[in-house]
Amino acid sequence: MQGNHNIYKPIKATVDRVIKESPMIKSFVLIPEKEFFFKTGEFIELTINGYGEAPFTPSSSPLETKKIEVTVMKAGYVTEKIHALKRGDVVGIRGPYGRGYPLDKFYGKEVVILGGGCGFAPIRSLMYNLIAEKEKFKKVTLCYGAKTPDECIYKPFVDELKKIEKFEVLRSVDHADETWEEKEGVVTVLLDDINVNIAESVAVVCGPPVMMKFGTLKLLELGYPEEKIYLSMEKNMSCGLGKCGHCMMGKYYVCKDGPVFTYDEIKDQPDIWI
Amino acid sequence: MKKGFQIHKHSWLKYLTLLTNSHNMFVPVNNNNIIEYEEYSPELNNLSYFAAKPVTPLKAFLLPIKENVVIEREIHNKNIILGVPACDLKALELLDEIYLDPDHTDTVYNFNRENTILIGSDCYEIQEHCHCVSYNINPWPEVNFDLSLSAINDDFIIFSNSEKGEKLVNEMILNFQLTEAGLDILKKLQEKRNSVKKMLEKKNTRLPDYQHTGALIKKSENDKWEEYSKNCVSCGACAVICPTCTCFLLVDRPDFEKVRQTDACQYLGFERIAAGEDPLKKKYMRFRNRYMCKYVWRPEKYKSIACTGCGRCIDTCIGNINKNEIFIQMASL
Repeated sequence: MQGNHNIYKPIKATVDRVIKESPMIKSFVLIPEKEFFFKTGEFIELTINGYGEAPFTPSSSPLETKKIEVTVMKAGYVTEKIHALKRGDVVGIRGPYGRGYPLDKFYGKEVVILGGGCGFAPIRSLMYNLIAEKEKFKKVTLCYGAKTPDECIYKPFVDELKKIEKFEVLRSVDHADETWEEKEGVVTVLLDDINVNIAESVAVVCGPPVMMKFGTLKLLELGYPEEKIYLSMEKNMSCGLGKCGHCMMGKYYVCKDGPVFTYDEIKDQPDIWI
Repeated sequence: MKKGFQIHKHSWLKYLTLLTNSHNMFVPVNNNNIIEYEEYSPELNNLSYFAAKPVTPLKAFLLPIKENVVIEREIHNKNIILGVPACDLKALELLDEIYLDPDHTDTVYNFNRENTILIGSDCYEIQEHCHCVSYNINPWPEVNFDLSLSAINDDFIIFSNSEKGEKLVNEMILNFQLTEAGLDILKKLQEKRNSVKKMLEKKNTRLPDYQHTGALIKKSENDKWEEYSKNCVSCGACAVICPTCTCFLLVDRPDFEKVRQTDACQYLGFERIAAGEDPLKKKYMRFRNRYMCKYVWRPEKYKSIACTGCGRCIDTCIGNINKNEIFIQMASL
């Protein structure tokens, strides 16, 4: 990324498929004009031509370089435009940016993953990596929560995951209906059910701010050391390059120093849960 | 003191005219006691290179308020910015750390930087809110200049600090009578510079230094910040006019072009995320944020300091907020 490379100029990518994941969440399979490499947990900036740009951590496998998938919740003016995209539309992408998940630090460990809502997106990308190298991990436990059964995303992926040896999936919804056969309650209740050797484990948390907060507190209560809890932080990452200042969290630029931090690294910084 | 050259004021002015053939040159001009950069022409008779300081900080030439950062740059005449005060030269250190970060070099900033020649100058007259010395910056060019300009009576003394500067000195030697500055005149110059420094020190005796200010800001409570920010109207002028504040918005244009546009953490929504949460939703939070950034967070992250004591934020505040009075008050609590 040096020399004459223009750091602000996106490459083009064509929308190949649009997948409706939930009433408010859609996934977009994009085909970039040239191969696109990223590490799990790093993010991209997606441009709607002439309109705006927003950051997303790809939800696809980092091992796939010809296609990239992002999962987007309709939450603001850019994501509303993204939701209107159709097959064949052209968008811009810049990146990848930031520091993703340090997979080497997970080797030999039991990996406990706590995900909420659209926070499943970076986690699914991580999962693809974990599956590809599953012999390197003792066990992987995914605890996923959403508000309602309707809002649970990646249903086919979850079904596949359940069939893989060493992988366990637990799910909860805040408000169950008659179709729901899994747990009811906020996602942290799933942590009461897991069978894990904390001394041999690392935890990953990704979801909306309030869930990140209570998820982290619960993990600390269970005895996880602060440096073994990996958080994927959400801030207003705009340039992605540690320059524009919108994503500052104390001394850190979340876009460049993160978005993945250990709790130990950020616990003394301001407003980490906002 | 390193080797300097002496040139008579009249020869210097002739040289400036010569330079305008191949450069765009901007010089500080005093109009009704307001000093501002203007494009040089020999007709200007109110040049003001030795009085602190132009209203506009140097950053405006390197990071314009709006700049398309995607389209190709065209080669043009280099800019010469003449009369840059020490506070603005020092501020470049932080800008360079951010924009020339080897991981993600901003090629547009780099282009502007490479195509700009900086001629710094001594400050012999100071303004009410100047406080560079409180943050260990002397009121004369020491870093980041190509050429510097000092004056003793009708003689100018020139020091070179870069290849670009050497080139100019060699050009001057070819065209004008230029002599090496003798020890006598250098001694006089040092005395003149020191007297300005003393004046600044005397003016700012009560102001805590940079590190101490950081510690005071860090421990100041929310209710205090509410009180300090009472007259703030979130106009963002303090950030826009600050030589080290460079936060920006990327504005999208057709054809996937992007415009980098000055932004400020004082504006509501600066850190707001898509779902609506905003860590800086209240005015006092934004007000505090700017000082935390300058005196606590930037020093933790970068080698360069993030306030060079120019005092422009105090000059410009329509709420009459004087950060130095706040810091003096904090120190007395």
